[in-house]
Amino acid sequence: MKLRLRQGCAGWSFSLPILGRWDAESWGARPWDGTKEGGTGVELWAWLQADTEDEADLKWLTLTNALSGLFCASLNFIDETRTTRPVMSFQPEGDHGSSLDNLHLLHGVLPHEIVCTENLTPFLKLLPCKGKAGISSLLDGHKLFDASWQSMAIDVRPVCPEGQECVLQIEQTIDMVLDIERSKRPRGYTIPRPPPGHDLKCNATKPYHSGDTCFPSDFAEGQDWSIDQIFGKFLKGTCPLTDPDVPPVCIHVPERRDIFTTANAVELKNPDGLSRCYQVPSDEQFSMILPRMSRDGDNAKTIEDETVEPETPLLYAERSFTGHGQERGGVQFILTNPSPDTSVEFVYMESLPWFMRIYLHTLKARVEGQSGANDGIIEEIYYRPALDRARGTQLELRVRIPPASTVFLTYDFEKSILRYTEYPPDANRGFDVAASIITILPSTSLDAPPSRRKISNLRTTSLLLSLPTPDFSMPYNVIIFTSTAIALAFGGLYNILVRRFVGANEGPETAAGLKGLLAQLVKRLSTKFKGAKGKTE
Amino acid sequence: MGFHDTAGLYGAAAALRLALFTFFPALPDLLTSRVEVSTPVTSFKRLQEGLFLYSHNVSPYDGGVYHQAPLLLPLFSLLPNASMYPFFTYLVYIVVDIATADALYQIAESGEAAASKLFTSARKDRRWSGYVVAAIFLFNPFTIATCLGRPTNVFTTCAILHAVAKAISGHPLTSMLALSFASYLSMYPVLLLPPLLLLAYDRQNATNRVDSLVQFSLTAVLAVVACLSTLFTISYLLTGSWEFFASTYGIQLTLTDLTPNVGLWWYFFIEMFDSFRSFFLGVFWLHLSSYVGGLSIRVRSQPLAAITILLGIFSIFKPYPSIADISLSLAVVPLFRHVFPLMRYTFFAASTILYSAFLGPAFYYLWIYAGSGNANFFYAITLVWSLGQSLLVSDLTFAILRDEWEVERPEMAGKEIRQI
Repeated sequence: MKLRLRQGCAGWSFSLPILGRWDAESWGARPWDGTKEGGTGVELWAWLQADTEDEADLKWLTLTNALSGLFCASLNFIDETRTTRPVMSFQPEGDHGSSLDNLHLLHGVLPHEIVCTENLTPFLKLLPCKGKAGISSLLDGHKLFDASWQSMAIDVRPVCPEGQECVLQIEQTIDMVLDIERSKRPRGYTIPRPPPGHDLKCNATKPYHSGDTCFPSDFAEGQDWSIDQIFGKFLKGTCPLTDPDVPPVCIHVPERRDIFTTANAVELKNPDGLSRCYQVPSDEQFSMILPRMSRDGDNAKTIEDETVEPETPLLYAERSFTGHGQERGGVQFILTNPSPDTSVEFVYMESLPWFMRIYLHTLKARVEGQSGANDGIIEEIYYRPALDRARGTQLELRVRIPPASTVFLTYDFEKSILRYTEYPPDANRGFDVAASIITILPSTSLDAPPSRRKISNLRTTSLLLSLPTPDFSMPYNVIIFTSTAIALAFGGLYNILVRRFVGANEGPETAAGLKGLLAQLVKRLSTKFKGAKGKTE
Repeated sequence: MGFHDTAGLYGAAAALRLALFTFFPALPDLLTSRVEVSTPVTSFKRLQEGLFLYSHNVSPYDGGVYHQAPLLLPLFSLLPNASMYPFFTYLVYIVVDIATADALYQIAESGEAAASKLFTSARKDRRWSGYVVAAIFLFNPFTIATCLGRPTNVFTTCAILHAVAKAISGHPLTSMLALSFASYLSMYPVLLLPPLLLLAYDRQNATNRVDSLVQFSLTAVLAVVACLSTLFTISYLLTGSWEFFASTYGIQLTLTDLTPNVGLWWYFFIEMFDSFRSFFLGVFWLHLSSYVGGLSIRVRSQPLAAITILLGIFSIFKPYPSIADISLSLAVVPLFRHVFPLMRYTFFAASTILYSAFLGPAFYYLWIYAGSGNANFFYAITLVWSLGQSLLVSDLTFAILRDEWEVERPEMAGKEIRQI
């Protein structure tokens, strides 16, 4: 991490590819308001101190190459066609003093990258206890990459305490969504089999519920789990280098949920009654057990006692391709504001590959819902068109969605055909288009709840763009055929232009062309043959 | 002779186009999206995008979509928005088509094709009147499809034919001006300068004629250079930078946009090995321009014939050809009605062109939409299309030269001949 200060880099954020898709409908708002996660594929953005754009590009190149080596990710493939300079979407973090003027923000995505165990090892190496103690001792490639959703991110920002030299702060984040049923399976459980009838969790309130019919109950209902069941091991104490005031384990459950822990762990309840934390002794193993809570009897518990209802996200976003064929298509972007009374203002950023030629004049916004105001929901557009083989499209829109309505943004694009060397080996799989980034701007009204006073992010899924492909097997054939066609045309015309006309019975006696040649050849051969025959006789 | 004769014809052509625009409102956009009609350097949809960027103060040349001449932008921004009031755009394209037909009418009426200054064909009485030639152009399905698809090379077509018409009527400067406009819009018409210059030289007015060919050419070339520099300067003032050069003419020289079209270049340069790309680009351009000198010298006595053959060659071998180019080359062929009996492969060439015109869209559909064919299907049909056209061009050349030869040898008319 020494390289950064030397480079004059004022903070960067780097996220390894996420796995899975965040299911906002059932999981609610994203962790950390989405600010600590990337999209599908590697994402990197950095504020670089440079006087000119060229200098910033040079520093960006050094940074991507250094990080590529450090994290075993192909970040060095972030070239100028994948780099954008966002204008409205990101805000610098940390203390920058007065040097904000010559800060350059660069952003790059490699949507095709997938996360791998080799990315986890360097990630853990950066931790003070290197995954040997504390919560990071639970991080195991088998469990981490088996998650329903997983994201890993690193943020580096300068911190300048009063009167002291500036230091850099690094923050590493891992988020996982685990399917408890799946995680509790034993290691050797490789072939999924249907569970036996008595293990099925059925919704008994359905009228047709009986011994041989089952309507599956809510996944979260009546679950029991413990840390060692899910991760396959205990938490190994705490890292002695951490801040002792920050409790290492916190859990969001209602107050009435029973939780048992290993001995010597101290429980700290949050006054809001929705979460509690545990202080873990530094050299002891820790686990916590959440038992199944009985639904009947004297002390009956309901689902409200077991889990906290997830927070409703500010926006639901979805992006998809429309149209068919490999010539052209459209992008449809559907945004829903679930809030019944507040409008949401956000910046929508797309960075598209150059071979997807978008037609901005076809950009249309349509609102469905409460208010009929169709015009003016797009407040500002920043557009930097793509240049073939030099840079991608960058599109940033500032949009305000009225409460309880859905916005449809659509635009057309054309798929260009590439040189045959520019296709990847699996050309017919298609090309990945990076996730679009939605930055929800903080509410400016004074009575907004605290969750609305800060920036939050949202990313759509990436898209798969199929381009028309040439036939890869016949460059020679094509070169030969086309050259022949040109030679035929040129030769025919040349012949007509340079030769003299004569009557069919005029001119030199020898017939021209192949016929004449053949006749001559036959004549010569026959005389030779005759001569030879004469000799033998 | 005058407008009275042709008013009915032009009215009918305009009415047909208006009827197609009105009764089939989806047809213009369908044709605009066809690769046979719109190329990256002429597409109407790309023009719309360029206009949108231009009117929002983003340089349309700082992007990979718009590759057309800068002066089209203010011209089209004067018109009402094409997606809301398409009628005005339709009107412009209809008027341009009729202006083109009128130029063709003047060329045909002059009789230049059969009787130039240095040569008079023995068959000069067998010819079609301007009315027929203009009608063949106006009701050619390729011309109608081009008009509906609204590519911007209709302006080039119009300028080229007006340059020829003005050269014949003895207005060399106006002719050079029109040619400069055509070259400014599409670049390749500059290659027509030598034969056009000869045509204008032959047809000078008696009052102020210049006897020296060198002096005449120098003046004409100077006029073209001056006119082009003025156009470039205006473009520079309009867009504020010289980047339009690389984007409009550079793309025709380097072929960075490989969108399929009816020509031979796109698939060749998709499949080309990277290290040979620049070499073959040079070869292809050299090949395209190599015909100019040879034809101007060989068919010196009939400059209009040289122009006709060159237009045919350009519609086959230019980097981004479309059916608008073949509609131009087919428009001037009927001027040579008198040599039609001397052509040998008319049926074969015509059926090849018809066959590929019908199979081309079908094979494109199989490749792009159905997925049951691959790129070779469409490529093969462009090869056939080009071969059919080149057969037509070389056959016409043969007929013109034989007609010329029969003036020296009138006794050979109708006899078997050969070339040595």
